[in-house]
Amino acid sequence: MSKKKKMSFGESLKAQFSTKSLVLIPIAVGINLIGGTLCSTLKLPLFLDMIGTIVVACLSGPWVAALCGLLTNVFLALVANPVYLPYSIVSILCGLVTGYMVKAGMFRKVWGVILTCLACTLTNTISASLITIFVYGGATGVTGSSVLTATLIAATKDIVMSVLSSSMLENLIDKGITFVIAYILVKKIPKRFMSQYAVDSDDDEDED
Amino acid sequence: MAKVTNTFVPKDTVIEHLNPMVKIIGVFSLGLGSLIFPNSYLGFAIVIGLFFVAGAAKLLKDFAKIMFGFGIPITVMLLFIQGCYSPKNVTIIADLGFAKVGLEGVLYALKIVSTLLVFLGAFYIMNKTTYTGKLVAALTGTGMPPKAGYLVLASLNVVPQMQRRMSVIQEAQSARGVETGGGMIARLKAYIPLLGPVVMSSLTDAQERGMTLETRGFGVKGVKQTSYVEVANTKLDKILKTILILFFVIVTVVSLLMRMNII
Amino acid sequence: MDKVVVEVKDFNFRYRQTKRKALKNINFTVKEGSFFCIIGSNGSGKSTLCNALVGLIPHYFVGKVSGDVIIDGVSAAESSIAGLSAKIGLVFQNPFNQLSYTAGSVAEELAYGLGNRGMSREEMIKKVEYVAKLMRIEHIIHKNPLELSGGQVQRVAFGSTFIMEPRILVLDECTTQLDPLGSEEIFDIVKELNQKGITVIMVDHDMERVARCADQIMVLDQGEVVAIDTPQNIFGNPEIAAHKIGIPDFATICRVLKEKGYTDKEIEVREEETIELVKEAMAG
Repeated sequence: MSKKKKMSFGESLKAQFSTKSLVLIPIAVGINLIGGTLCSTLKLPLFLDMIGTIVVACLSGPWVAALCGLLTNVFLALVANPVYLPYSIVSILCGLVTGYMVKAGMFRKVWGVILTCLACTLTNTISASLITIFVYGGATGVTGSSVLTATLIAATKDIVMSVLSSSMLENLIDKGITFVIAYILVKKIPKRFMSQYAVDSDDDEDED
Repeated sequence: MAKVTNTFVPKDTVIEHLNPMVKIIGVFSLGLGSLIFPNSYLGFAIVIGLFFVAGAAKLLKDFAKIMFGFGIPITVMLLFIQGCYSPKNVTIIADLGFAKVGLEGVLYALKIVSTLLVFLGAFYIMNKTTYTGKLVAALTGTGMPPKAGYLVLASLNVVPQMQRRMSVIQEAQSARGVETGGGMIARLKAYIPLLGPVVMSSLTDAQERGMTLETRGFGVKGVKQTSYVEVANTKLDKILKTILILFFVIVTVVSLLMRMNII
Repeated sequence: MDKVVVEVKDFNFRYRQTKRKALKNINFTVKEGSFFCIIGSNGSGKSTLCNALVGLIPHYFVGKVSGDVIIDGVSAAESSIAGLSAKIGLVFQNPFNQLSYTAGSVAEELAYGLGNRGMSREEMIKKVEYVAKLMRIEHIIHKNPLELSGGQVQRVAFGSTFIMEPRILVLDECTTQLDPLGSEEIFDIVKELNQKGITVIMVDHDMERVARCADQIMVLDQGEVVAIDTPQNIFGNPEIAAHKIGIPDFATICRVLKEKGYTDKEIEVREEETIELVKEAMAG
């Protein structure tokens, strides 16, 4: 315990990107993607494509989670549609926000999880809207929300507000369910496994 | 999302045998070139050129499908949004009754569409004609950290494997009578028993895979990683690289001059 | 032949945030070229010990370590996993977790570790060819490793370990997940390598096989060494058998014959010797 001291940012970054954490990333990308696939097989009108990122945020910290988000979008761009690429910024920011909230101990209490979820929704909505507006001029043509946006624009005649409010609604429901599922999953991870990572817990209890 | 499989199919074309770095430079040179160019003409010209490249790579049918499948809806949507509601609209070119169409908005929409299509098309051709292992080997050769290469390749290999495992579990669960139909709440409740087992087993697998990587010398410092995959750098590659870089430089200069109203 | 290549001294290990030690006061040595088997029930610490031998403890798994593991004169704690890979290699249970997931073909997979050492492509090709032949996978060298059967993948994994040129092999139940045929194929390769002078340290559940091959057997129970001895002494001793280890059928046959008074010879653990003993018992 006495050895434990504050790590510098660089040191903590290096610790986050150990091999043990790095191998989690492709797995988390997979969880993100099959989370989305499962939604379409179960005909759920949701994305749920951030579950892996949240699990990794709990195990390996904010920057690994950010990388997870980035890679999920790169992957989608490679195999499905390059339209997803600019949105990697959204995934990166969400990973960072979740990661730092977990690091601050937010995942130990239910209200903390709710707070993290809200912070994540807000980050997502604002950054995604900015990208939709600045990269795509208002619509991507790939989601149902584009149609909703177009309708709203016709009604309100204000591009910025329309994009914001349509994705806010969508996001709040989606992120809420995502966080509930991720929280249940994280609680199920065996302690023996968790203790090999455990970014937010203390080192060792010395007793033999 | 559709089932993900390895997207590269060897077709033995000239485009396929190019050095991956040429294709990466191509994506950026053409994409950024059309982005900085003041109007949409260059972008659309490049798009037409890309159709010929796709033809040379024996990809024409799929390429056209992607370009039109993405291009038409987004053009319509953007023309509507930007054409009718862009705050930049001054010159009115048509009146639809419920809204007026402005020239500035239409031009802006076309500019976005052309740039997106160039990026999309060039990226698609690169992706479909390049074996990912070769791409990563080329990037690692030019100084990309091996860890980054690992992440790209491992994601491409692990995800399809997880999808297969997922469908096995899905079948097993439905055989055991876990409800996957019914109302919204029932379907949402089926989510965890389906996803949970895949997540848990994947995590323990990841830990063992980390052991494997470590014992194979992954991430050792001070060694320049080499690859079994051969990445040739032919005369043609060098010429194309030069042309692509020159193209970007010229477009930048011309765009600057045009924006300053010199040309 | 008598050179000690593995030396474990007063080794203790406890995984982070757990109460019980996974390994307690482990002491043993392994001689060059020998066939050393480790047996014990589930959770006895066999895998943890294997991980310690190749340096994964303390370099990968976190926890509290004391004592020493010395591999060919080098302390595992002071070396690195990559450094040790040229001396000692590990093959474990699940074949699909022993792939790098970066390779599109078996050849690339085999060469992965060499690439991390910065070896030239020409040298790589030679090594890959040699190891592929040794592991009997030349015919699948251009296939995608993820599309192979478990037995084939395990031979690829074995090859990827062996290509790093270790003189010691640690095999942690490396045939448990394979069908009998796949299992035998792997095992034939292990025997061949041992005959070529490679030291083998093997954890296995097949007691007939252990009895047949081992020069020495170490029995572990709850993280502690129960005994280190020859197969005959281990399987012939009822006190050791009480530690929930399996007994080869041959040893059981001999014991029954001895208990019923048909013979007074020592208990045998291998096929040929048992046949001899049974023949004599029937004749007598």
